[in-house]
Amino acid sequence: MRGILEHLQSSETLVTVTDMEAGLEHLKRGTLEHAETLLIVVEPYFKSLEAAGRIAALARGLGVPRISAVANKVRSERDEVAIRDYCAGHDLPLLAVVPFDADVAEAERLGRAVLDTAPAAPAVDRLRSLANRLLAADLPERAERVAD
Amino acid sequence: MKVAVAGKGGSGKTTIAGTLARILAQGERPVLAIDADPNPNLAVNLGIDPETAARVESVPLSFAHHAKDADGRYSVGMDISPEEIVRRYGTPGPDGVTLLLVGRVEAHQAGAG
Repeated sequence: MRGILEHLQSSETLVTVTDMEAGLEHLKRGTLEHAETLLIVVEPYFKSLEAAGRIAALARGLGVPRISAVANKVRSERDEVAIRDYCAGHDLPLLAVVPFDADVAEAERLGRAVLDTAPAAPAVDRLRSLANRLLAADLPERAERVAD
Repeated sequence: MKVAVAGKGGSGKTTIAGTLARILAQGERPVLAIDADPNPNLAVNLGIDPETAARVESVPLSFAHHAKDADGRYSVGMDISPEEIVRRYGTPGPDGVTLLLVGRVEAHQAGAG
């Protein structure tokens, strides 16, 4: 599988978004090679934060160029602070804070995409901002390539 | 742009990956959403209907030839271009996103990496 992932991500023209296997066991099989940006989805509770920290450490060891956290299912200011504190203490940029969103829960219940059931949901709004940040971060590299 | 989404099971990793892929696909560049989870359900979060999702074929791992060179470095040879893999195995979804399934590991391939 590593070979296929690496191969697909070698294509210059494609934007790829890869949904990795849950957890971190797969990382030692080299599944992250050729990923430019790793987003680690983290929930505001201790075990999730610890798992994110371990994934980040492994990804650093593998040389993934950009490693960031995305907070998900954030219900309160306290939740957000817990995640911000952990990320700050572990040198992990927090790229987006996605709130707990009943529209997302409902879409999941129906087995549908939240973009189709509630395109204006607050969580979708945050993910649009995240997409813009990723695109903005991607631009300098592309400009350099053009300059070469 | 090559983005990978990781996280603990149940964190909403797939929801975020799928929604992000769709949003990016609304832009100018073609977006490939790759489901590398052995329990694949990215199709749902991309908005691909269940009947179509059930028919999605996983990219055969047999395209990849693994080898180690003299320095013990791992290398992978491939019989087929990325574009051809997408053309043959990609499933079109809303907003022009293309889904590719690579994570389904068959029993006889377990451990092949």
